[in-house]
Amino acid sequence: MKDLIKPADISRASAGLCRIEPGDLAPLPPPYEDFNATVLKPLPADKVKALETSLDDTLAIGIPKPATPEEEEELVRRFLSGLTKLFEKKNNWTFLQPLLLSMEHCARCQTCSEACPVFEMSGRKEIYRPIFRSEVLRRIYKKYLTPGGKLTAKWTGDIDLNWTAIARLAELAYRCSLCRRCASVCPIGVDNGLITHELRKLFSQEMGIAPKELHEKGTVLHLRAGSSTGMNPLAAKDSVEFIQEEMEEITGYKVDIPWDVEGADILLLHNAGEMLAWPENVGAFAILFQAAGLSWTLSSEAVGYDAVNYGLWYDDVQLSRVAARHAHIARRLKVKKIVLGECGHAHKALTVIADRLLTGDLNIPRESALVTLEAIVKSGKLKFDPRKNDFPVTLHDPCNVVRSMGIVEPQRRILRKIAPRFREMTPHGVDNYCCGGGSGFAIMSGYNFTDWRNLVSSRKKFLQILQAFESEPPQTPKYVCAPCSNCKGAIRDILGYYDAEKRSRLYYGGLVELLVNALDGMKKPIILFGDEPSWT
Amino acid sequence: MMGYYIFTYLCLAVFAAAVLWRIYRQLTLPAHVRWEIYPVQHEPAAKAAYGGSYMEGMNWWKDKRRRSTVNEILYMAPEIGLMRGLWKENRSLWWFSFPFHLGLYLMLVVFALLLLSAILLLLGFAEDGAVLSIIKGFTIAAGWIGVIAGAAGSLGMLYRRLADRDLRAYATAADYFNLVFILLFFVCALLTALAADPFFAAARLYILGLLTAGAATPAYAPGQSVPGALTVVLGSLVAAYIPLTHMSHMFMKFFLYHKVKWDDSPLTPGSPLESAVKQNLQYRPTWKAAHIEADGKKTWQDIASSAPKEMK
Repeated sequence: MKDLIKPADISRASAGLCRIEPGDLAPLPPPYEDFNATVLKPLPADKVKALETSLDDTLAIGIPKPATPEEEEELVRRFLSGLTKLFEKKNNWTFLQPLLLSMEHCARCQTCSEACPVFEMSGRKEIYRPIFRSEVLRRIYKKYLTPGGKLTAKWTGDIDLNWTAIARLAELAYRCSLCRRCASVCPIGVDNGLITHELRKLFSQEMGIAPKELHEKGTVLHLRAGSSTGMNPLAAKDSVEFIQEEMEEITGYKVDIPWDVEGADILLLHNAGEMLAWPENVGAFAILFQAAGLSWTLSSEAVGYDAVNYGLWYDDVQLSRVAARHAHIARRLKVKKIVLGECGHAHKALTVIADRLLTGDLNIPRESALVTLEAIVKSGKLKFDPRKNDFPVTLHDPCNVVRSMGIVEPQRRILRKIAPRFREMTPHGVDNYCCGGGSGFAIMSGYNFTDWRNLVSSRKKFLQILQAFESEPPQTPKYVCAPCSNCKGAIRDILGYYDAEKRSRLYYGGLVELLVNALDGMKKPIILFGDEPSWT
Repeated sequence: MMGYYIFTYLCLAVFAAAVLWRIYRQLTLPAHVRWEIYPVQHEPAAKAAYGGSYMEGMNWWKDKRRRSTVNEILYMAPEIGLMRGLWKENRSLWWFSFPFHLGLYLMLVVFALLLLSAILLLLGFAEDGAVLSIIKGFTIAAGWIGVIAGAAGSLGMLYRRLADRDLRAYATAADYFNLVFILLFFVCALLTALAADPFFAAARLYILGLLTAGAATPAYAPGQSVPGALTVVLGSLVAAYIPLTHMSHMFMKFFLYHKVKWDDSPLTPGSPLESAVKQNLQYRPTWKAAHIEADGKKTWQDIASSAPKEMK
């Protein structure tokens, strides 16, 4: 039996703390057994030479190796400075109480380990254990930042702090999708996901270290250009104009998408990625809202047409900036409420987290589109024909909507009404498994990180999807309903990676598309299985 | 004899100070952003059953919030008393952890019952009267079950931590010490009960002595038996020690659940929570990353309302 990697090993130099060998990963069932020996392609030699790659087989950040010992020392000093700030009211009032409680009360009972899909699917690789990174941080904190810590380190758990440990810890902060399944099963209430989140903040807010997809191409681009997609307001309007035309062509329904309507009841905030990757989602919302006679609008102001807030995953300041912009835009438009489209992290960022950032007239009511959609269905204003959705459907629960917000049943009540062959995944609801794309993973693609996601972090979701449809013949088209942009991105990638459209006829999409697909009066279906219409 | 009393007083003072300090620190921390996790058990039972929230309702901010304290208690009672969460999620550990915790809970119960009977004695209740007899009966039952469960549980926990490689890999010297320390206490208590004090009469007299600084007669002198003396010393030390360690989760769990996991209170205009958040926004952070542009003078509000150079 191999020796277990222990928390103190993080600072000991080695080629890599973790390697996934063929056959290590949790096995996939037929017809996917050929993937069971698949491992990550090695990183290119030039990357290994220039970047810190000694954690595992992949890179999320790609931190350059320090050139001199002085540079290393400076980075260690800055890490400790950031760690100190995590425990200060003025710097971290946002999460100080939850952080202290989770840092001080873990009993190391390992109950969390069995709940973590990354740990389980990786073949129980020690570094992916939820408590591993928490314990590393806890030991560093105790040894270097508490009085007498160096004297008592042998007693409370020793660890050395050096650049190797810090670089590995930075990468390791991006091997947890912050799904918080571990926190939901902890008998004490300790939250390893939160500790990971705080670790990411330390690196970003003090050291300026974050994956470029989240920072430069994420929040920075969002605040500068207006959207993390890079679309400026003009481009966003063009995209939506195109969507209007597409919708009419696809469904025969003429839709007129309103912009900047002052005093509208609803400001609808979409993840702008939908406009580019899944325009039918934006179009379907427009069809339903228009058909239901709702008073609504989109905003063409920079930031206002993109609901995303990547700050949620790594930086409280960036989170606050984006949330404040969203709120200012809603206030200027004098809308009665903001409705968040099918984007899970945007739900949580603006509704829950920003709830204690937005005061006074910035505290505009926020509501989930899943709730709004259910109200439309319940109102009886529109007629739906469930026979049009006569194909197997399963529902993915976005962690941010379900476990973090308790919005569990509206989407199910809709599906029970319009999708006669709906079945649940196991487990589901607040016990769901992450799509594997949470906390930014879905948009992080540098180096070979996408492969790591497909092989490791999304593997559990893939197994769940296969299990949900195991009674269906392979030739029957099946629909994975994922009412969240990032989840859709992750599911799109796993279906593509495992060739699941061809092997199992698996397709995916949002909830609103299923509604429009079943809506009376549509001349053509909005949901296609490849080139095949879902109804004729 | 006074030495024992003084020692116990000191330990209880450390216990009280540590508990109060931990609670005080929590109460004086700034209001944090929401980070709840569902199910939140003060939702009405129908919603709590599947993990639903008030945010499932259309225009939820217009509705009167419905909170169910009953539901919360119905959830927490078996969680605290029977460790339901561990039973559900980590059953193989529950078989060791539950008796360990049961032992500690029952020691608290025994202490409370002994205290109560000592007070009643001082108030003039007859020692062989009905009230004190009933309390004595409960004390004996709780005491015997507690010391046996505690000794077995702490021995089992020590075994699990040594034998299970996953637990061992994360165990520190302090973890082993904690278990050995508590095991020693339970073993001494068990030996005392077996050899010298099966009805916890001497224990009651020791508490009586504690209450009266040894003035009451007859007060128990722990030196009468070695296990008895050790039980008093170790029990006092355990009481002082627990709130200084992560084992304070026994009572800090309240904050972990109520102030984080189930803290779902929305911010309402004009509320004390809004005032607290406004105050928080006046903190002056000093984060050093360039994009933050913090200088120790700008407030959180200034920074959140600004776009740093790279974002313009």
